[in-house]
Amino acid sequence: MNQVGSVGLIAALAFAAYALVAGAVGGRLRSPRITRSAERATWGFFLMITMAVVALEYMILTNDFHNAYVAEHSNRDLLTYYKVASLWAGQEGSLLFWTWLLSIYSALVVWQNRRKNRQLMPYVVSVLMGTGTFFSLLVFFVANPFQELWANGTQAFTAPDGNGLNPLLQYHSMVIHPPMLYLGYVGMVVPFAFATAALITRQLGDNWIRITRRWTMVPWMLLGTGILLGGNWAYAVLGWGGYWGWDPVENASLLPWLAGTAFLHSVMIQEKRGMLKVWNVALVILTFFLSIFGTFLTRSGIVSSVHAFAQSNIGPFFAVFLAIILFFSVTLLFLRLDHLKSENKLDSMVSRESGFLFNNWILLALVFAVFWGTLFPVISKAIENTTVTVGAPFFNKVAIPMGLLLLLLTGAGPLLAWRKTSFQSIRRNFTVPLIVAAVAGVVMFVEGVRNLYAWMTLFLSVFVTICILGEFWKGARTRMRTAKENFAVALYNLTMRNTRRYGGYVVHIGIVLLFIGFAGQAFKTDSKGLMQEGDLLRINNYELRLSELVSGDNPNYEYTRANFSVTKNGEAFTSMHPEKRFYKASQQPTSYVAIHPTLSEDLYVVLAGLDPGTNKAIVQVFVNPLVMWVWIGGVVTLLGTLLAMVPSRVEREMAEMRQAQELIVQAGDAF
Amino acid sequence: MLPSIAVLIAVGMAVYVVWPLLSAETAGGPLPLDVTVLGDLKRRRLVVYDNLKDLEFEYQSGKIAREDYEALRTNYLGEAAGLMAATQEAEQLKQDDAVVEREIAARRAMRKSQPKIEYKCQACGYENPLPVKFCGECGARLAVPGKKQG
Repeated sequence: MNQVGSVGLIAALAFAAYALVAGAVGGRLRSPRITRSAERATWGFFLMITMAVVALEYMILTNDFHNAYVAEHSNRDLLTYYKVASLWAGQEGSLLFWTWLLSIYSALVVWQNRRKNRQLMPYVVSVLMGTGTFFSLLVFFVANPFQELWANGTQAFTAPDGNGLNPLLQYHSMVIHPPMLYLGYVGMVVPFAFATAALITRQLGDNWIRITRRWTMVPWMLLGTGILLGGNWAYAVLGWGGYWGWDPVENASLLPWLAGTAFLHSVMIQEKRGMLKVWNVALVILTFFLSIFGTFLTRSGIVSSVHAFAQSNIGPFFAVFLAIILFFSVTLLFLRLDHLKSENKLDSMVSRESGFLFNNWILLALVFAVFWGTLFPVISKAIENTTVTVGAPFFNKVAIPMGLLLLLLTGAGPLLAWRKTSFQSIRRNFTVPLIVAAVAGVVMFVEGVRNLYAWMTLFLSVFVTICILGEFWKGARTRMRTAKENFAVALYNLTMRNTRRYGGYVVHIGIVLLFIGFAGQAFKTDSKGLMQEGDLLRINNYELRLSELVSGDNPNYEYTRANFSVTKNGEAFTSMHPEKRFYKASQQPTSYVAIHPTLSEDLYVVLAGLDPGTNKAIVQVFVNPLVMWVWIGGVVTLLGTLLAMVPSRVEREMAEMRQAQELIVQAGDAF
Repeated sequence: MLPSIAVLIAVGMAVYVVWPLLSAETAGGPLPLDVTVLGDLKRRRLVVYDNLKDLEFEYQSGKIAREDYEALRTNYLGEAAGLMAATQEAEQLKQDDAVVEREIAARRAMRKSQPKIEYKCQACGYENPLPVKFCGECGARLAVPGKKQG
């Protein structure tokens, strides 16, 4: 099976390298047959990488421990779905997985455009497969998962059992978190490829933007989902009571998401007004660069992180690839500046365009701040030879005010008209939301919300929610009047006519819910205790009684479990069972956190271990308000994005019209 | 056994990839244009119409004050008119081109459909390659086919 994998890898490398060259040549010579051949090579790349992935998965599932990777990252008693996940648990496997996802995206792009965008496609193929060449080189020569296991460096041998999957990764959201994140990272190559092709062919209207809209939204959505699943994993597994710690690897995933968010917003200005062309190309380059940079950061071990899994010597290769991307795309951008002139100018500082522009500036400032903070340890080491780590306080200090400004724009931006908005229009749209938010603000202050940032978050959340609901309400009422529909039908038709706008509003509601969840952090409380059976621990209005400590064993791990009965305000509330586990295969301890989630707050109990002297349980309890809203906000954002991807009625009509026109044009040409 | 099958699949795929190179250049010549000038103008016009529709809807739903609405509407209509004029111009150009093209095509077709006429000089026997009235070799008047001589 190792040989099958190796054949797959080397053939994939050959196809990718061929497609890289053939695409460029086909585009340059405008030759349909060379282009077709390059496109087919993309499918060849997909097929061969798939073969390698199947070979590795087969070895993992059949416990083939003569393969070094399988012996290192799986074991016999691992649950099947964790075995499947072993594919992306280590360096070699995860790079192969990355490459496979790239091959899937590339094959789909080629298939979708097999009759369209003929001028762009050769270069698109070239860029996609350039990336493919880099990754297959890496997987084949530097991090090859198809190595035999060697005893004493001389003799091939088969291990009796594997070392097992890192126990921290044995958690359900960890099975889908990496694929989501990777799909997000990898997918950003598609808009980048189209942008590059547009630059090369000088087709710098908004054709490439329209083609890549969904190709950007899909990875953006998956990246966001991946980030939240990672937060969910950190919250449920790491046992420190939070879901976001500004860890370098977390930051690495946030950076392309922020840049992608900026891109998704600024493209609308180009589509509507033909402005910001240079900006959009630059943003797409930045987003792709940050995606690769994120992969690099996670994989190279350049910055230390609690969960930079699988580090090795691949850093320099990535550094070279990043330099190539940057040099190539920036040069190309400068060569084409003449073709990127704006069709219109900014009419007024109070307009939808300027709203989008502010949003972009803030997002990019945030990208810069997070980038700087993440790399600061490396930079300080290089300059002063001391590693200065920048912690959560720095990031919070910078990110919270910027986040609040973004939240404000989330509500205010969509209420501004394109081109310019007079004071009268502003008064008309903002009076009601401001009054409602002010009333809510006073109520919250009276109720005891005294933390400035938390108060502002909640105040703005109310403001934005009212703004967005107002949009739906006004739109539906207008349809009721003009199209004589009842409210439900009007609301449905309103949304379906312009899914992009109203899906966007739903995403904004999701973002508001996320911020409400974030605001809960300000009211977090915790308590610690050494407990024996029968002891009580109080936190806020909860009482936890340790009813018993049990020990047990299963094939995968040994455990000590603390059974708590919990009362709230003196009444029976729930029972909770945190565990301390010891995984046999990897010989590592972990905590299994018990969480009782409700809409208002989570009760979060960690059994950190047993005190060696007294044999009492070391227990840590957190009360985390509003955390549930982070997950709900994530789901709403996801649904909103899906809604925004449904072809709207207007879009379909325009597509039909275009098609009809093309038919007429073709008929004319034939004549 | 399995590795050989893997190699076979790879080779098969390679043949599939190289195949288009071996065939003669497919009909239709070089890669067709993705966006024509006319197509781009039309699309931009559609965008302006869309903007107008949006504006109308936002005005009706009370989101935009009257003065803003009127100013923006005038602006958009101006933009649409400009684009329309540009489209007409481009269409006119295309029509002119089309007329010329059609003329050429018609002449070519006529020439092809006419029976092949030989312009062989009856005086010296030279076969003139082009339709001529006098022989290119000896200068004698040729008999024009289909016309009475004299």
